[in-house]
Amino acid sequence: MVRAQISMVMVLDKCIGCHTCSITCKHVWTNREGQEYAWWNNVETRPGVGYPHRWEDQEKYGGGWVADNGKLKLRMEVMKKRDPPKMEDYYIPFDYDYDKLFDENVQQEQPSANPVNMITGERMDVKWGPNWDDDLAGGDIYARMDPNWKVLEKEITLNFKDVFMFYLPRICNHCLNPACLYACPRKSIYKREEDGVVLIDQNRCRGYRLCVTACPYKKVYYNWKTGKSEKCILCYPRLETGQATVCTVSCVGKVRYMGVVLYDETRIEEVANVPDDKLVEFQRSLILDPFDPQVIREAREAGIPDNYIKAAQKSPVYYMFKKWELALPLHPEYRTLPMVFYVPPLNPVITALDRRGKYMAEYKNILPTIDELRVPIRYLASLFSAGNEEEVRKSLKKLLAIREYFRLIEVEGLSKMEASKVLADQGLSIEDAELMYKWLALGRERWTIPTAQKVKVGRMSHMKKKGRRR
Amino acid sequence: MDKRYRMAALIGVLLIFAASTLAVMGIVPVTAQTNAYTAKYVQGPIPLDPTAGLWQQAEKGNAVLVAQLLTYPQRLDTQPRQVSYAAVSNGTHFAIYLEWSDETEDVPQLGALDQFPDAAAVQFPVMAGEQPYVCMGMPDNPVNIVMWSADGKVENLVAGSGYGTKGQQEQQARGLHKTPTSPIVKLPPEEQIWTASASYSDGKWRVILVRPTGGVGSFTPSLDPGSEVSIAFALWDGSKYERAGSKVTSGWMTLKLEAPAGAAAVETVTVTETQAAGTVTQTVTQTATVTETIAAATGSVKAAIVGFLAALVIAIIMLALLYRKGALKGV
Ligand code: SF4
Ligand code: SF4
Repeated sequence: MVRAQISMVMVLDKCIGCHTCSITCKHVWTNREGQEYAWWNNVETRPGVGYPHRWEDQEKYGGGWVADNGKLKLRMEVMKKRDPPKMEDYYIPFDYDYDKLFDENVQQEQPSANPVNMITGERMDVKWGPNWDDDLAGGDIYARMDPNWKVLEKEITLNFKDVFMFYLPRICNHCLNPACLYACPRKSIYKREEDGVVLIDQNRCRGYRLCVTACPYKKVYYNWKTGKSEKCILCYPRLETGQATVCTVSCVGKVRYMGVVLYDETRIEEVANVPDDKLVEFQRSLILDPFDPQVIREAREAGIPDNYIKAAQKSPVYYMFKKWELALPLHPEYRTLPMVFYVPPLNPVITALDRRGKYMAEYKNILPTIDELRVPIRYLASLFSAGNEEEVRKSLKKLLAIREYFRLIEVEGLSKMEASKVLADQGLSIEDAELMYKWLALGRERWTIPTAQKVKVGRMSHMKKKGRRR
Repeated sequence: MDKRYRMAALIGVLLIFAASTLAVMGIVPVTAQTNAYTAKYVQGPIPLDPTAGLWQQAEKGNAVLVAQLLTYPQRLDTQPRQVSYAAVSNGTHFAIYLEWSDETEDVPQLGALDQFPDAAAVQFPVMAGEQPYVCMGMPDNPVNIVMWSADGKVENLVAGSGYGTKGQQEQQARGLHKTPTSPIVKLPPEEQIWTASASYSDGKWRVILVRPTGGVGSFTPSLDPGSEVSIAFALWDGSKYERAGSKVTSGWMTLKLEAPAGAAAVETVTVTETQAAGTVTQTVTQTATVTETIAAATGSVKAAIVGFLAALVIAIIMLALLYRKGALKGV
């Protein structure tokens, strides 16, 4: 059974950590009572603790699936965990009493605005926030608190010369095997058949918060005011009219790419169950080639409209995740089959310094080789490939090959044909390189969103109990 | 072969079967508890104060509630709980009083993300004379549920989920893009006819749920005086993170709603009680009939097990006797 999903790729090299995505999302969707603490989109500094505090520590939060003798079980069920995170795990939302700046009586001191608790309205001391460790990566407090740090501890010191950092923007991954959906006993969560967006029906939700615990990415937020849970809706009202999400459009770094991918629904359970080191490979195998006539035929049979199929052929997500194998899922070992992908960072494209303060790489072409990069592959593998370093290497090698290709042409004056040898080594063609250049460097045509087909905006048919299209 | 022996052998086997069924029923909450409670017909207004004399002195029914273990999310500890209840009606309204022990008063604080309210629910069949599947009904034989929670909410709900049954398991089978119908639905505003008052003291919740009698919508039974209806209870303890299926439930019991015409068999007693606020005099009509005494939670399970063992012993003795007489050869 062929299905269509609108998904996203974020190219981490380009993220400047400006939080514009978070702020625009907040203003559009969560600028309301009950969601003060909620950031459907947040940007973390890595290495670092993230938001909520150390969310990757599943021993504490109980999120995701565990593969148990060929069966997938919710970790929260295995752990018998029932308590959702506390407000303190996120942060106590605060604002400032700015009015005081204007209303203060004349006095000796400068008037100052003080932080106030957004829920109680009381003055408070701010001790923690959603991006408290912004830009402090490598600082020995926060780096050590990063759950991914444990893979490094023995070999990486926290010496200044070795530190590395990058930003990690996060939204709900609109997973293919969403733990939040299965955890809901009220069936309030559903994955839209037309585009795979995972939504919580606010009429059905009874605020049980099992989804909050079950989501390993902590991307479901309980609204204490309405007594119901909420999450990123992938800006579906925008998608339906052919527009990309607010975070994508507003992104300063042009980090975000969106498009349709076609996938084989029948294999989800099998793929979510493979050993850790195979997870990326198998998830890639789920994604179908939108140019394959057989796939196109089956997609049509499954009721996928032509504008979706066309969009899938232009989809940066298809190229970056499937064809070029540049992009990787975040923490595939949670086994939810997340559908937001990340191109891991090369940054900084320099090598670590040796003991005498000299670059360790032997320069042939200015660019260092992968294992001489400052960002440890092992750390990236812990984030993006369940520890499989080869998957990360594959991606980084291609990124370097593109840089090298254009450098050979622009700086060394080689012809495209001569330069293309570096591409061929990585299984890329000149066309691939040019498309990558258009997308990654120039940042053009970063999304192709098909408009929704009115008849298929599926809620009405479900409500009439017509059942699912098969 | 003696016919009498053959008969006795058959009865013995049946006895074992019945006793084992009973034992199973004592543990699994799918049973009907055979208790009947009579809700008295009272004159005048029904007091909404849970500490009022009418409620405190009313004869109580007791329901045993055991952990819901049939369907996700199950309760984590399996200790049974107990609720005492009393019910009255007065021609315009029906009220039910619930009292149960709970060590903590759980009312979520402002802005709390990880706190759950204590809660209680009373379940009735939607269709008169029916006794639907006790675990929240079946799609073709639904139940009406009033749910009170300590955060002040009272909701009139309808459910037909068939939890723990085959149909429901199939519904839950893995498969994406699934949008099955909700197993429980809140009725529209005009059918939200219940109000509640509650108090917590001495480690006990005392809650009164009141609604007008008579029909409203098609999912709320009318509870008219003179009728008889099945009733079941559920409780949640917020401090134990209980919500959804993580609860204790009772089996079905019978609630008889006394009719005013039955006054001939009724004697009138006057109960006077003193409260801090002053003296309140109330007239309570009480029937001469004594409601059945109800076994306690552990009691009923124990009784079932003892019954089973006793039946087993009797049956073995019988079988041995029969065997000696050669009666079993023909069976
Ligand atoms: S990221 Fe979390 S909330 Fe989003 S679909 Fe996956 S499991 Fe659900
Ligand atoms: S707007 Fe773009 S560049 Fe800025 S933090 Fe968000 S993802 Fe990064």
